[in-house]
Amino acid sequence: MQDFIKRLMEAARAAGIEACEAYLSSRDSFRAMTTEGEVVEYESNLTRGLGFRGLYRGRMGYASTEAFDEEAVGQLVKGVVESAELCEDEDESPLYDGGDPVPDMELRSPALSQVTPQEKIERVLAMEKLVKESDPRIDKTAHNVISTGSYTVRIVNSHGMDQSYTADVCALYGQATARDGDFVSSNGYGMCARGFDGLDAPKVAGEVARRTLDGLNAAPVPSGKYRVVFFSEAMCDLLGVFSSIFSAETAQKGMSLLKGRVGERIAAPCVTLADDPLLEGGMGSRPFDDEGVPSAAHTVVEEGVFRTFLHNLKTARKDGVATTGNARKVGYASSVHVAPTNFYLKPGKRTPEEMLREIGEGLVITEVSGLHAGANPISGDFSLLAKGYAFREGRREKPVEQITVAGNFYELLMAVRELANDLTFPMGGVGSPSVDVGELSVSGT
Amino acid sequence: MLEPSLVRTVLDAALSTGADFAELFMEDRRDTSLVLQLNRLETVNSGRIHGAGVRVYVGLNAIYAYTNDTSREGLIACARQAASAVRERGRELAACAELSLSPVRDAHPVKLLPSRTETRRKADVLRAANAAAREAGAEIAQVVCTYRDSEQDVLIANSEGRFVTDRRVYTRLGCQAVAGNGTENQSGFEGPGALMGFELFESRVDPARVGREAARTAIEMLHAPVCPSGVMPVAIGNGFGGVIFHEACGHGLEATSVAFGTSVFCGKLGERIAAPCVTAVDDGTLPNEWGSENVDDEGTPTTRLVLIENGVLKNYMIDRLNGRRMGMAPTGSARRESYAYAPTSRMRNTYIAAGCDDEEEIISSMGDGLYAARMGGGSVDPATGEFNFAVQEGYLVKDGKITTPVRGASLIGKGADILMKIDRVGRDMRMAQGMCGSLSGSVPTNVGQPMIRVSSITVGGRA
Repeated sequence: MQDFIKRLMEAARAAGIEACEAYLSSRDSFRAMTTEGEVVEYESNLTRGLGFRGLYRGRMGYASTEAFDEEAVGQLVKGVVESAELCEDEDESPLYDGGDPVPDMELRSPALSQVTPQEKIERVLAMEKLVKESDPRIDKTAHNVISTGSYTVRIVNSHGMDQSYTADVCALYGQATARDGDFVSSNGYGMCARGFDGLDAPKVAGEVARRTLDGLNAAPVPSGKYRVVFFSEAMCDLLGVFSSIFSAETAQKGMSLLKGRVGERIAAPCVTLADDPLLEGGMGSRPFDDEGVPSAAHTVVEEGVFRTFLHNLKTARKDGVATTGNARKVGYASSVHVAPTNFYLKPGKRTPEEMLREIGEGLVITEVSGLHAGANPISGDFSLLAKGYAFREGRREKPVEQITVAGNFYELLMAVRELANDLTFPMGGVGSPSVDVGELSVSGT
Repeated sequence: MLEPSLVRTVLDAALSTGADFAELFMEDRRDTSLVLQLNRLETVNSGRIHGAGVRVYVGLNAIYAYTNDTSREGLIACARQAASAVRERGRELAACAELSLSPVRDAHPVKLLPSRTETRRKADVLRAANAAAREAGAEIAQVVCTYRDSEQDVLIANSEGRFVTDRRVYTRLGCQAVAGNGTENQSGFEGPGALMGFELFESRVDPARVGREAARTAIEMLHAPVCPSGVMPVAIGNGFGGVIFHEACGHGLEATSVAFGTSVFCGKLGERIAAPCVTAVDDGTLPNEWGSENVDDEGTPTTRLVLIENGVLKNYMIDRLNGRRMGMAPTGSARRESYAYAPTSRMRNTYIAAGCDDEEEIISSMGDGLYAARMGGGSVDPATGEFNFAVQEGYLVKDGKITTPVRGASLIGKGADILMKIDRVGRDMRMAQGMCGSLSGSVPTNVGQPMIRVSSITVGGRA
């Protein structure tokens, strides 16, 4: 690979490409899926891909490959030149000069390579068995997954930068259906960890069983306005899908209504939103971003006041500020965008139970689905299929399903009444405690 | 792509520890994508996807290994990796059948290969869509146009002697228009595509019309009040409206769910699962349609499958492995995003067939309700059939007359209930293109239907 990169850089220089960067991503991963106690799918792979970008006559061009044959060097160079020639984007797209110290982070789990496929399969089977045995109403346990993997990101550019990191990631996911008469409830739960030891089979099994059983005999509530509390996971889903409104790239393209509002109040005073790539144990943690810029933490919203957009080098240059180190490629082949790392709402002081007790009556939303369709980051509107329960005098009264909760995310930020103290990062880099969002429209019967 | 003797060697290595079936899938794909926004061509990206996967079956279970290293050594190592995971050793080894390349009849001819089309012409398509969208009104604040094409060469071989190669060429234009007034934004999207080359823009798709349509929806919705909530009759327009069948029923008819007994439609073949006016089809053979192919990703020829006939369930969509599990023949429905996914049963061009109701009567006889003229995307939990989807462009109907546009609506329900509640099926069936995500990744699918009406459905709105 060293030799391929060297030949590529030389060919690029010879073709008149003024500055260039090779982004190499490689992955070694394992995944097994069990259904009803049997391993029905088993997958292992070793893959790598290279994204190449370069400045040609002042414009940035892109190309990528998964083949590293003789043809590939020529294809990449020709691709970048053609791309740059056609591009009409006049905003400067600088490459990182390097030189700043990169934080030292441990993203690997040294023990992971010692774990055999058999041990991994046993872990998911054990989890599945616990779900199965937890209650006679559990009907099927299908599509349970264990996955482990290491991925390496290496960035080499013609300014002399050559840096890389390797991270491990393991996940355990369970899914079940429960039956009570004709009523079928389906639910799942998963967790991520850096190391295999972090995958807690009893915890996953307990959550899968509890969630599935909790949904039995759920029914819609009458349509109307309800006081709504989003539990952590549902709030994370909402925050994740609307995270793009905090991106300078989105704003510069006129797609975020936060454009021009840095310094203004955009949320209730209890809302503080942070992005922290250095967070210990965070699944979004990394020493540098996808342009090689060293990671640093940022407060995006501080006590309701919008402090900063997230930036990469290009959006930062355009706005005349410093990058926040949030450059992100969606895969090695992608151009450079902006995305959060560990992105979370700071927790409040009280437990969710204390919060519910004071509210008295309303709806807890534990789960929302259909985010890619029912939530529109451009308008902020959302109308989402939801599950949860109705509570009265602070206590769980009856399970609820087949309802939608609808609102507007920009309005919701302003309407937040309180955040509980139960900050969690359910599956990845987005975190939130349970949040009392005030009144929302609910459609049911 | 590969000599038969090497393919044979790879399959032999895969069978060497006791698997009873082995399959090789190899892919070499060239993609081009262009993005135009802020009135300028912002990104031009070309890429090459290249890799291979080896899958073996041990009875009803499967093992899959994949790699980008398609050298002789790389492929054999990949096959050995798959073989090494076979746990039940000591059985008699299966033999690989004789391999000779079978010809594949090309039912989806391509006239202008994207790789032989100048990138400038692709950029011009985006400019035409962008200009038309911006001319649609002063409120159009932003337009993002995307162009994608891809030429995928595949080689598929298995130990039963199936050995084919095929080329799939895809071209698609997308236009998202945003209308804004400073404090509010609304968007509209249109995204036609086909299993064909650049001739898409000569024969089927007018880029300017695509831009105008996206812009029209965005502007219409900017002026629309929020949709009311409640249970009401809903008429759903043709084309992308077919997403209701895709989510509410289609996923539950994929063997991926059926084989494990986790679909609400398990064990219902021959039973009435929908109103008698509903006939639904999944057709992988329609010439040059977005969800078509000559052969599926296991090398099985695609078919036209009647899923539901006059309300009665006739067929599931079945891949080879789940066919084994169900004791049924594969239907040419095995699909995958790329070599990095094991294939499974997926929809192709799935639609509710034309019925005999008059579209005007469907609205005029519905009383008070919602007309969902254009749908957005959706999703479903096949285990319960619970679905949701977004209405991109909706109108309130009062006393049988379309009155005001409304925004922000979603429709939810359970598939099995909704199919029974369809009480009108119009005459003008149309299809629209989408990307469907599931276990084996994201694949091109057509959804389609004429206008249909559901007698009552939960509408999630904000008013």
